[in-house]
Amino acid sequence: MSLRHVANVVGLLLVFVAVAMAVAGLVSWFYSDGVTGAFFLSALITLVVGLAAYGLTTVSHDITVREGYAIVTFAWTAMGLFGALPFLLSGTADSVAGAIFESISGFTTTGATIFTDVEALPEGILFWRALSHWLGGMGIIVLVIAVLPFLGVGGMQLFKAEVPGPTPERLRPRMTQTAKLLWLVYVGLTGAQVVLYMAGGMSAFNAVTHAFATLATGGFSTMNDSLAGFDSAYIQYVTILFMYFAGVNFTLHFYAFSGKPTFWRDTEWRFYSALILAAAVMLAATNLTTGAYAGVAGGIERAVRDGLFQAVAITTTTGFVSADFQVWHPFAQVILFVLLFTGGMAGSTGGGVKIMRVLLLIKATAIQLKKHLHPRAILLARVGSRVVKEDVLANIVGFVILYVLLVLAGALVMGFLGMDLLTALGASIATVGNIGPGLGNVGPTDNYGWMSGSALTVLSFLMIVGRLEIYTVLLLFHPGTWKARRSFK
Amino acid sequence: MKVIIIGAGEVGFHLAERLSEENQDVVVIESDPDRAEETSDQLDVMTIVGNGASLPVLERAGVRGANILMAVTSKDEVNLIACLAGARMGVGYTIARVSNPEYHASGSVLSQDVLGIDLMINPARESAWETFHLLTSPAATDVASFANGRLQLLGLMVKEGAPLTGKTLAQLDQELEGMHYLLTAILRDQETIIPTGATRIEAGDQVYLLSLTTEAHLIPPLAGYEEYRLRRVMIAGGSPEGAYLAEILAQYHIEATIIERDRKRCVELAEALPKALVLNGDATDLELLELEGVAGMDGYLAATSSDDTNMLSSLIAKQAGAKKVVSLINELDYLPLAPKVGIDAAVSPRISAVNAILRYVHRGRVTSVATLKGIGAETIQFTVTKDSQVAGQALRDLALPKGSLIGSIIRGDDLMIPRGDSVIRPGDDVIVFALPDAISEIERAFE
Repeated sequence: MSLRHVANVVGLLLVFVAVAMAVAGLVSWFYSDGVTGAFFLSALITLVVGLAAYGLTTVSHDITVREGYAIVTFAWTAMGLFGALPFLLSGTADSVAGAIFESISGFTTTGATIFTDVEALPEGILFWRALSHWLGGMGIIVLVIAVLPFLGVGGMQLFKAEVPGPTPERLRPRMTQTAKLLWLVYVGLTGAQVVLYMAGGMSAFNAVTHAFATLATGGFSTMNDSLAGFDSAYIQYVTILFMYFAGVNFTLHFYAFSGKPTFWRDTEWRFYSALILAAAVMLAATNLTTGAYAGVAGGIERAVRDGLFQAVAITTTTGFVSADFQVWHPFAQVILFVLLFTGGMAGSTGGGVKIMRVLLLIKATAIQLKKHLHPRAILLARVGSRVVKEDVLANIVGFVILYVLLVLAGALVMGFLGMDLLTALGASIATVGNIGPGLGNVGPTDNYGWMSGSALTVLSFLMIVGRLEIYTVLLLFHPGTWKARRSFK
Repeated sequence: MKVIIIGAGEVGFHLAERLSEENQDVVVIESDPDRAEETSDQLDVMTIVGNGASLPVLERAGVRGANILMAVTSKDEVNLIACLAGARMGVGYTIARVSNPEYHASGSVLSQDVLGIDLMINPARESAWETFHLLTSPAATDVASFANGRLQLLGLMVKEGAPLTGKTLAQLDQELEGMHYLLTAILRDQETIIPTGATRIEAGDQVYLLSLTTEAHLIPPLAGYEEYRLRRVMIAGGSPEGAYLAEILAQYHIEATIIERDRKRCVELAEALPKALVLNGDATDLELLELEGVAGMDGYLAATSSDDTNMLSSLIAKQAGAKKVVSLINELDYLPLAPKVGIDAAVSPRISAVNAILRYVHRGRVTSVATLKGIGAETIQFTVTKDSQVAGQALRDLALPKGSLIGSIIRGDDLMIPRGDSVIRPGDDVIVFALPDAISEIERAFE
């Protein structure tokens, strides 16, 4: 493990972050919102630190597995810290912990905010929040790999550590090409959503920021009432469609773009779609039978739309809101609570446990049951026609256990800090799963602004651990990672 | 007809034996001089010592004038190369014995249309199909299908007190009015009888009945057996034969359980056969067999690579209550033993391959041939042409050779079990049963 090597790559990534800040600065200048100086100052600080880290270190060898994990973890932490600068320097955030929370919530595509009145924020800040989502969604490291091929073989290590899901697929023999194609699909889908939004009468600014937040499965809105703030069925349906797309494995999108759609042959996709559909139908039915939409104009359509919207928003971990589900019937709330765990498909921009892992966990459980009937049987888990190896299965079972333990540990800390059970659990799940709105006092109509600095710091950590899928970060806390490997040269 | 056979192993030897009995000119190429000498001593064939894939050796065997080349050594690659060479030198039909399924697969570079190999026979797959036929007709010791599966020939042993016992064929005709069947042959005290109306069936006779496939389930009860459906099959041994059977069973939605001793092979099987239950264990482990419900199995195939284990495993399964037990037996000398010790049927991969090849050899005039084990009789399907001697004649006017019988006439979509006044027309397909001595004469009559 060479810390110099880590500093080198992290420094390079900060240069990218500085460029992104400058872009947000230009937006701020265009709208003359009064915080332009804060952006360019932030960009300058980030650039200087980044260049210093990059320039003062030398790279002597390719990235090792351990360095890969360290680079990704430190890069995300550094991005989160430097990304907080615009919030602090512009004076929009009143505490350091709050600014860092907001920044990390952006990059990890969580979408949990400390701001009570979003609509009062300067345009530059709103754009910066959306841009941090968008960069974090597909993964800034994937972007760097796409642009800078020199990371070489080590790029795969970084790619693996950053891309969500059990096993990233390669679309092309070379890492750089794969990363490029993924970003191309990402940009294409974002463009399409912006066009559809604007066709529905949305302003260019709102269209871009919401498209960024949707495709990244983020959830930052420019409206206090999130998507409920747009009283347009069309805009909400467009949002539902693109949230759904963002939760799909981007490899499948790529094949669809190249004219060979393979969606329906993909087991995980079928499970993902069926889950959302079933949840939406149950939510709509619950709301209609309990009379929650009685007396509302177009009640049935609204109930169906809201059911679908919440089911997609929670499953994909976007966390946009079109209705306050905390006033719904308990059954509807429990459905959404279950969806908080599932997450999007592997290889999507969504967070959570991931549909693939849920699917394999169910299969692993079924195998254990069958094993009791046939003790000598050789039973294999399959996804479609592909056999999942036993060690991958064990890894996934381990991951899910770790995930649940992490959520419980987070809730424990929140409880210690004085939150009630529902809020503590909700805040922990919503940050580990990169969802945004949780339950209780962090529900769909609330925010995280009231929390203490220590609570926000713990939740910020949970967001990074959740985004990097636990193992990547936790490995750094394993003593073995830091022991020097003996070499026999 | 001139036939070149490459490889005088079990398959090659039996092919040579059967073809020479049918009065064909057979040349056998064998690389082992001792084996070659043994073959020429026992059979009326010409033998050449050498590598069948080498051009000079093929030239010496007279490949240029040969009608059929059969490459049936145990090496796939030798067989394939020999066939390629043969096809290039003008042999009419080439047949290769190929065990590796990757060479068979559609899209293989070796596919028929690309390289001109007319038939690739996989002994393991052939024996799996034979086993499947045996299991689906539990009482039968022999099963063969004709006319794209619309006709089925069943061979079974008549039980004491069965509806067939003690009746003449003429009596049966009256009793079973409306049912489409034909009793084609009887094996009694090691002697094959092609029956007439006056022939009386006795208990203990092995009878061969032809019927419509849709009515085939009515046949076993006539001979005193219960009627039933195949639902669950256990396969002891993950050999290629066992794996192919599991694959076939999956196509027909029949439950399959495979027991295999080698753990690595188990994983391979489980990967290849998603529908089968694969167990890691021994084929002769009674405790395991009972735990996995061998008593409730409709069918059981012992398919390990060892004949001894297969026989033992079959006996254990039979004892434990499996209904129909089939054993894979490679050593041909053991074949007659199987029924004596209580195994319901034995399948030899090599004999299965021989049958599959012979079925093909008669193509042109013949579309399907089944060789009935135990009795020498063959079942042959001819297509009648305008020039055939038999065209336009009533059956009773035909001077068919002794030891032969017309089993069925297929005219378009109609299937007829013929009577004396039935007339054969050009375009008909006719199924004939014949003892080996009569085959050449029959072929001439239909040419």
